[in-house]
Amino acid sequence: MVNLEIHDLSMRYEKKYILEDLQLYVEHGELLVILGESGCGKTTLIKIIAGIIEPEKGKIIIEGEDITHVPPQKRKMGYVPQAQVLFPHMTVKSNVSFGLKSHKKSKEEIKEKISWVAELTQIEELLDRFPSEISGGQKQRVALARAMAIKPNVLLLDEPLSSIDATGREALALTIRRIQKETETTTIYVTHNQEEARLISDRVAVIYDGKVQQIGTVTFIDNSPKNYLVAQIMGLPNVWPVYYIEETDENTILNTTIGEIKLTKQTNKKITGISISPSSFKPSLEKKSISDLEKSHFIEFKGEVKSMVQRDERTIRAVIELEGEKFDYAKIDVDKEAFEDILSSDQKIFLYVDPSKVIIL
Amino acid sequence: MTFPSFNLKKRIGTKDELLNKVIIATASLVIVLFFLFFFYVPLTRILKFSFIEQGKLTLDYFSDVINSPMNRSALIFSFYQAFLSTIICLVIGLPASYFLAKYEFRGKKVLINLLTIPFVLPPIVVLLGFIITYDDKGWVNTIWQTISGSNNPLINIFGSIEGILIAHIFYNISVIIRITIPAWENIDYDLIDVAKTLGTSKWKRFRKIIFPQIFNHIVSASLLVFIYAFNSFAIVLYLGQVRFQTLEVRIYKEMVRSLDFQSGTALAVIQLIINTLIIVFYLISEKRTRKMAVGKEKSLQKEKISFRRFNTGKKIVVFISIVYMILLFIFTFAPILAIFIESFKPAIESVSAFWGYRQLFSTEYNAYLHNDPLRMLLNTLWFASLNMIITILISLSLVFIIRNKFQRLRKYQTSRVEGIISYLILLPMATSSITLAVGLFLQFRTFSWFNDAVWIFIILAHVLISVPFATRSILASYNRIDVELLNVASTLGASRLKIFAKIELPLILKGLIVGGIFSFAISLGEFGATNFLVRTEYGTLSVGIYNLFGSHTLQLPAAMASMLILITILCFIMIQRIGDIDLKV
Repeated sequence: MVNLEIHDLSMRYEKKYILEDLQLYVEHGELLVILGESGCGKTTLIKIIAGIIEPEKGKIIIEGEDITHVPPQKRKMGYVPQAQVLFPHMTVKSNVSFGLKSHKKSKEEIKEKISWVAELTQIEELLDRFPSEISGGQKQRVALARAMAIKPNVLLLDEPLSSIDATGREALALTIRRIQKETETTTIYVTHNQEEARLISDRVAVIYDGKVQQIGTVTFIDNSPKNYLVAQIMGLPNVWPVYYIEETDENTILNTTIGEIKLTKQTNKKITGISISPSSFKPSLEKKSISDLEKSHFIEFKGEVKSMVQRDERTIRAVIELEGEKFDYAKIDVDKEAFEDILSSDQKIFLYVDPSKVIIL
Repeated sequence: MTFPSFNLKKRIGTKDELLNKVIIATASLVIVLFFLFFFYVPLTRILKFSFIEQGKLTLDYFSDVINSPMNRSALIFSFYQAFLSTIICLVIGLPASYFLAKYEFRGKKVLINLLTIPFVLPPIVVLLGFIITYDDKGWVNTIWQTISGSNNPLINIFGSIEGILIAHIFYNISVIIRITIPAWENIDYDLIDVAKTLGTSKWKRFRKIIFPQIFNHIVSASLLVFIYAFNSFAIVLYLGQVRFQTLEVRIYKEMVRSLDFQSGTALAVIQLIINTLIIVFYLISEKRTRKMAVGKEKSLQKEKISFRRFNTGKKIVVFISIVYMILLFIFTFAPILAIFIESFKPAIESVSAFWGYRQLFSTEYNAYLHNDPLRMLLNTLWFASLNMIITILISLSLVFIIRNKFQRLRKYQTSRVEGIISYLILLPMATSSITLAVGLFLQFRTFSWFNDAVWIFIILAHVLISVPFATRSILASYNRIDVELLNVASTLGASRLKIFAKIELPLILKGLIVGGIFSFAISLGEFGATNFLVRTEYGTLSVGIYNLFGSHTLQLPAAMASMLILITILCFIMIQRIGDIDLKV
């Protein structure tokens, strides 16, 4: 178990910064998911930690030791690259033992480690096969076994599920989680898929613009995303960017893709977007009378029902296409009993939201 | 768990990078010195002969050369015959490659491989095969005279353009076929379907959609055929006689027969400029072809040949195609078969059928050969083996300099050496065999040991000829290596040398072996440079066969040629077993 610190890490590619003064701290034995969209520098970051790419600036520290200029051979990082790259000319067994042999372990130790890691990753039956003879999921297990065999300081996983078919993904994700827990290996798991982060992370670091924007548990970020982009990357429903803000004496008017939103409260926070929880929408098939609206200052949206999916025994999640020039959609949760028989596809619907329920990002 | 301590100084971690740099520096040094001593310095000697007269720069030799009608007609003829050869190869080769791409049948792969054999055959062997098949008393004319009752031969290959063209077509059809089969196969048929739904006419679909997709492949293939035909030597030297000469033949004659080094080198410079231009065009066209070759989902629908299912129109088309393929096959194999038969055919009745092969062990023809045939066979194999080893070492070094994946791992930029070296080898590629030999000869002839060590220069010339082919073959397999494999290996603790030995080398082994065997085969049959440099006892089989063309019987040269064919075909089979042949420069 080690901890990992990254200080002021910068890296340019063709003059454009892909990582800029990035800071990161990984706890002993934790699984940190790095979440970001494609091209945000996740893979570069993992390669820098593995020692494959040398950063232009910054420090990488493991257990207090600066390893920024230590070559990959001496770092003992368990690197599992994105594509399933096994040595094609070697059996699974030779693939797994490659690192052990490079570290000049004794024959007995190699044998012992292979059987340990093969059991851990459930690849015992595959040991004598060649990479061309096994499936994608199996290949990724072998890649994992190969990385784990050297008992790495840090396990580095680059989108490990990206080329696995949908059915095998969850199983493999849980295998990774189990192995990581059992061996208490500090792990960095890079992905663009927030579902994976939700499934296995201890903490999540959301990165874009070459920086870690927010770091914390999934629940923490879900409840208080730092800004619009973090909320969007976390896959939160109903987030919209704010284009500009007009402030009057009483109100703050936010100009968003879904129209103007008038808020009575004042805020000191830098506003980047808004989010409305699916349960905050009050649906109605008819336009409410003006008097009702005036009383509560509810925000009104018009739209059409586009799809309905049952969420649990009591709620239905409906997707509403909001009226407007662009195609914007709102996801709303409605009571199943009250609405199941009333809602149908393409039906016109009005949505009312209490402005105090609008979350400012 | 214990944690290893990193008691390393800041930059010591780059030990492997340092080793990598040392390897690259050593390889670069070897390459640069090799090309410097055996190519660039000899080249400057050629330039000196052609540009400098009594210490002064002059263009007189060039104007003399161009004003000489003999040379001018050689220049024109080189272009003319290369152009005609290319056009005829396209006309004959494209339908064949379409047939081979479109239809599936048993033995198709074998047929494609068999049709490629001429490309690897030694030119002297082809020449001998042509003489036996097409000369006045050859098979074709005998059959023609029997059928038609005429006394005039159908074809006259000596001192005529037909013989030269037929030989060039024989040689190069395989280039067209092999390069354009993938072109036909890779046509994106989704596009054609889309065009159909848009109501485009058949002709327009061909012109606007199919043709642009195959055009670049055709250009690449044509430029290759053109350059091979343009630099043709042995065939034109013998069949063209005095009437038809290529530049390559003129250079040889000026250098060897007239001992006019100034004119010879001036012609060599002109030829080099033309070749460089063609190669540059070729590389541009190759690049474009590669760019277009990406992202095709649905390619040519292959059909099995089945006369039952085809309608009448299609039956006729397929039937004509099959007859066409059979004729092409006969055209390809007649000269080869003719040599084997000739090797068992005594000129006088009292001699046994095995006389030719028995003569391989005698010394009876040493007056012509300057050596005994067995020694020539051994020379051939010895030169080819040494050439193979040196070529592999040089090509491997070249690949490691041009595409050192390891070096790119830690830094994003590519090194400057790569760029310089890839240009450095462009010129040797564009230099004809005779010019390479002329350079070596002019540079080293003044050394007292030149005549004794001439075998070294023969091998060096072979190396200069083989390196582009071998490099290509190794490069192709090296490019297929996923960089991540090397990344993973280094994180697993493998040193630079271990990564090379355990990962890079095993993964390029196929390309290495194919490149090696191919350079072996090139050396086996090389004639132009060898014949130019050869002194007494260092003759190869090719030189021996050529010297025996004038003898009363072709049985001995046919026996020698049969040996060459057998070894060449053996090489070819090995190449096909292991990987694929690359006909490109």
